[in-house]
Amino acid sequence: MPIRDDSAFDAVRHAGIAKLQPGRPRIAIGMGTCGTGNGAEGVFHAFDEAIGRRGLDVQLVQTGCFGFCAEEPLVNVWVPGEALVILHRVRPDQVGQILDGMTGRALPNGLILCKVEQWDHITARLDYGSGYTSVLPWDEVPFFKGQQKIVLRNCGLINPDDIEEYIAIGGYGSLRKVLRESTPEQVNEELKAARLRGRGGAGFSTGIKFEYLRKAKGDRKYLICNADEGDPGAYMNRNELESDPHSLLEGMAIGGYVTGARHGIIYVRAEYPLAVHRLNVAIAQAQEYGLLGDNILGCGFDFDIELVEGAGAFVCGEETALISSLEGRSGRSRPRPPYPAERGLFGHPTNINNVETWFNIPPIITRGPAWFRGIGSDASAGTKVFSLVGKVTNTGLVEMPLGTPLSRFVYDVGGGSMHGHAVKAVQTGGPSGGCIPHNMLDTPVDYEELGKLGSIMGSGGMVVMDEDNCMVDVARYFIEFTHAESCGRCTPCRVGLDKALRTLTRITKGQGREEDLAELDELGRMIRDTSLCGLGQSAPNSVLTALRHFRHEFEDHIRAKRCRAGVCGDLALAPCENSCPIHMNIPRFLQLYKENRLEDAFESVIMDNPLPASTGRVCQHPCESRCRRQTIDEPINMREVHRVIADHVLLSDRFDTMAANVVAKRKPATGKRIAVVGAGPAGLTASFYLALLGHDVVVHESHAEPGGMLRYALPGYRLPRNVLDREVEIIRRLGVQFVLNSRIGADISLADLESRFDAVFLSLGTWKETQVRLSGNDLAGVFGSLHFLEAEAHGRQTDLGDAAVIIGGGNSAIDCARTVIRKGLSATVIYRRERKDMPAIAEEADAAEEEGVKFIFLASPHRIVGEHGAVTAIEVTKTRLGAFDTSGRRRPIDTGEVQVVPCSAIILAVGESADGELAAASGLATKSSGMLDIDRYDLTTSRANVYAGGDYVAGASNVVTAMSYGKEAARSIDRHLTGEPRFETIFPAFTYDQAPPEPIPCARHHAHFLPPAVRAKSFEEAVSALRPDEAHAEASRCLRCDIRETVAHAVSRG
Amino acid sequence: MSQQISVRIDNELYTATEGRTILQVAADNGRSIPTLCYLEGLSAPGSCRLCLVEVAGVGRLLPACTTPARSGMSVTTNSDALAHNRLMALELLFIERNHVCSVCVSNGHCELQSMAQRLGMTHVHLPYNFPRLPVDVSHPRFVLDHNRCILCSRCVRVCDEIEGAQVWDISARGINSMLVAELDRPWGEAQSCTSCGKCVQVCPTGALVEKGQAVEEMTKRNRIVTDLAVKRGART
Repeated sequence: MPIRDDSAFDAVRHAGIAKLQPGRPRIAIGMGTCGTGNGAEGVFHAFDEAIGRRGLDVQLVQTGCFGFCAEEPLVNVWVPGEALVILHRVRPDQVGQILDGMTGRALPNGLILCKVEQWDHITARLDYGSGYTSVLPWDEVPFFKGQQKIVLRNCGLINPDDIEEYIAIGGYGSLRKVLRESTPEQVNEELKAARLRGRGGAGFSTGIKFEYLRKAKGDRKYLICNADEGDPGAYMNRNELESDPHSLLEGMAIGGYVTGARHGIIYVRAEYPLAVHRLNVAIAQAQEYGLLGDNILGCGFDFDIELVEGAGAFVCGEETALISSLEGRSGRSRPRPPYPAERGLFGHPTNINNVETWFNIPPIITRGPAWFRGIGSDASAGTKVFSLVGKVTNTGLVEMPLGTPLSRFVYDVGGGSMHGHAVKAVQTGGPSGGCIPHNMLDTPVDYEELGKLGSIMGSGGMVVMDEDNCMVDVARYFIEFTHAESCGRCTPCRVGLDKALRTLTRITKGQGREEDLAELDELGRMIRDTSLCGLGQSAPNSVLTALRHFRHEFEDHIRAKRCRAGVCGDLALAPCENSCPIHMNIPRFLQLYKENRLEDAFESVIMDNPLPASTGRVCQHPCESRCRRQTIDEPINMREVHRVIADHVLLSDRFDTMAANVVAKRKPATGKRIAVVGAGPAGLTASFYLALLGHDVVVHESHAEPGGMLRYALPGYRLPRNVLDREVEIIRRLGVQFVLNSRIGADISLADLESRFDAVFLSLGTWKETQVRLSGNDLAGVFGSLHFLEAEAHGRQTDLGDAAVIIGGGNSAIDCARTVIRKGLSATVIYRRERKDMPAIAEEADAAEEEGVKFIFLASPHRIVGEHGAVTAIEVTKTRLGAFDTSGRRRPIDTGEVQVVPCSAIILAVGESADGELAAASGLATKSSGMLDIDRYDLTTSRANVYAGGDYVAGASNVVTAMSYGKEAARSIDRHLTGEPRFETIFPAFTYDQAPPEPIPCARHHAHFLPPAVRAKSFEEAVSALRPDEAHAEASRCLRCDIRETVAHAVSRG
Repeated sequence: MSQQISVRIDNELYTATEGRTILQVAADNGRSIPTLCYLEGLSAPGSCRLCLVEVAGVGRLLPACTTPARSGMSVTTNSDALAHNRLMALELLFIERNHVCSVCVSNGHCELQSMAQRLGMTHVHLPYNFPRLPVDVSHPRFVLDHNRCILCSRCVRVCDEIEGAQVWDISARGINSMLVAELDRPWGEAQSCTSCGKCVQVCPTGALVEKGQAVEEMTKRNRIVTDLAVKRGART
């Protein structure tokens, strides 16, 4: 029965309220596509069956999605007089529990997500009741905190298939209001005053657009709703249509009244069957109730809506292509002018708006333009719905006021990155948008600010990326998408995007050329500036922003042929190899060991890594972080296996034979002389390879023995000196000469080295301790960690009294603490963040705690207290964790609360840096940070034939990172000296099994720690190697990610 | 009564009739803006993007062929940026398919070739795509060589707008776009084709040619189509 007057309208409204809040319990199941995808239908049927079986008087309905997609299926449970409780991740087998606990306020705790006591539908408020005092109100759940639901005002609460429920919460009241009280001009002015902007992405003023159509001449005008949402990863419109179709119909009807259009068309993706179904139901109901069709609400206003299913092309979201498609032609864009407002569908004036724009209209009518303007930022009023997906903990639909900083989406709503990895970028705007790097996450999300960074807001896609995402691959992916979706009409988009895709694909395969980057940039700008429609004009954003903010990743792919994220499969052997800074062929040595070929395994290991026994003990093992075995149980203990392999040779009577075997690989003498300055991990590694390549290498070292930090900063209980000595011995046997106790700048000069050698490699390390500005740091008993550890290494005793406090959270802090403990003293480590944020290797920190080291977390040094010139205590201020910083960790903030820790000595382990003296004295170019300015790839400095690497240029890092510089230096120096790419030729090839193994069930093998009580009193090595059988079993756990295709015969892999 | 307006093109002030496009006003005054897809007498698709011009106060480039001249408009038809974009668009057309002038029947009479000469294109910087494309020789009198097609759609439009036969259309999308006769059947089997040959005459390159022509022999007479269109009062 059509509603023609107020009493009929009110009657329907009351009928609706009785459905929303019946005099009996109501259970509503979230059955949007996201809910059903997670099993909501099963839950619905289980409820239906159980309610019927138990004969309960319960109303069971479907609703849309409340927005928290990661927690689907969501179920609303309401008992009269009590708060509405939203349950999450409900399974069919939990239905009985829910029904049991429903009336006694005993809903299963683990299922409760939040409660709603009162809901603001904007067009009306609904009181549910109170209760469930211990349950968080919905807007205090982190995911919802700060969200403001205007567009999503009804989603997940009302039954989308029932127009009466929509009318119950004030629906169609705005339409009634404008028809009764306002002229079209007045409504149009209100919309202009509200500063509502198009939510499809372009952000044009909706009020002005309406005015164009209102003033356009023509007896036939069209309104179109663009529901052709096609961005990968974006599903705002789908949820809006599925959950609340009547809001769209009402918005369009108001639009019809304002503009004089009588025909509305919803162009919806055919790939959204549920949305299509619900819209069809909604349109039929609205027609039945006299809210669409002729003489709406008895006001003499005619407006009807037709639904058209899209033709399945992304470009049909572009308005002129959409019109072509509606006209029955292929969806291709055409130039504007003429604009649709002048000549649109079938030549008639037409207005097209996005779903979300229409959704905003009824609330603006109800609450007025000033209310709407008060939300969001000055230039961009209101809210916007985003689909937050990607590498965040919480994914779902997020409606936030415009102008909210991106960081709030990622860290507060999204709950930070998923695996604790650092967030790298956020991609906004779908394939037409761009990537915003993590250091710009403070950017407010609105039309203008995102545009400044080369991205767009678009329809609201928001994809969070972390260090496992390769930005080159991301750019390639989006270009592949837009290239496939280009209509092909204009040259730049058709041919240009194809060209860009070819170039990007080449780069991801490691076949990129340096000139590709300039070419991509030029091509991208040309496509952006000259394409016919929005698709082509915005398609290059993904490449242009990636080039702008992540150029180094492109350079890695092109110059180093490396994809650090490990995404580009052609550039990596396996995830472990890719994450290893020196790119050891890990699957190979594991397999060789598994095949009981110890000598081959050793050769494989030492040729990849000249310090295999040292790194086998102290490496930070980044290989494990990406090991695919952890998807089954735990990562392979790769480090310990190569320790076993190395120890079996280096510390046995096989040593001479195997050393000779390595020496035999030395290439014929080239006659080139190379000076290496600094015999740390970088210098030793460079020397090893340069000697193998046939060059004469002389290493100048300021200390009395080679080894650098390995010898002088690492305590003997972690790295026994005889292990390092054996590794150095092989390097000596390769012909490398060591000039010890010879300090550059004092005993020798760079100019002297340059005159006597063909090339110089500077790897001086970081021996300058970071100074801490702290009151009392001049007191006796305050030491630097390096100073302390070095003295220990020399066997000199440092007087620490009986209790030492160590400031810092890195490996150096832990080394100091464990050394202190071994001296029979007490040790307390003070770190300003939480334990999980410590840069130290986790096993080392655990071992320290077992040995009796005390930790104080969330505290930062405030003042050192002394008496008679000596330390007696340290005052620390407690910190709490604030917002996330760019490292993805929460920033510590002083609380002002002071704690006094009595102590007799303080060791500052807060970092080291390179000494800038040599650079200053020799005129080597430095960066603004004071670090040496080198080419990241060939390690050349501003002086010809002088190369630099290791911590000296990278800042204090770790052993294997320093070694990677040594390896690259050898490659680069040899290439420059001989003019040939000879480096790869020194590596032997092995033939070994290439059949992919069946994953065997086998737990990870851990190395054997001495009992804490024993090792805390001894400087003997604290961890002994895996037994051979354990190492063999561990090697057998490898899944062999290096095998690309199954072949009948074992083939060789270099 | 059409109103007279004044328009500034490359700093010269011209009087023009309202409703005429920037391209037409320029042409009326002896100024030629580079075009490929545009042909006087047919509708303008604005697709080749060679005729893009700068209009003062407009943030983006506009196609001269579809943008009506407005009173007080100040248009720049040539700047370094425009020249760069045109050259690049032209290069993209060259790399897209197999344009090998020396063996082409239209060599010396090709609009793509003469445009390259006019815009000073000395060589193509980007590598060619070299796609493998068929040649349709099924029609008794004409040949469709996809290798030479630049998808300007003149043939589509002339057949639709002048001949009224609607034989041609563009199928697929993006880089896979392809000229098709009827619903992608061999041209010779297209029942709607009247064999009038207008498509051949308007084709700017050697994509649509008459049979029996050797290298350099195919000349086109697209003026006859334009004159016909003007006589019929089509949009000009």
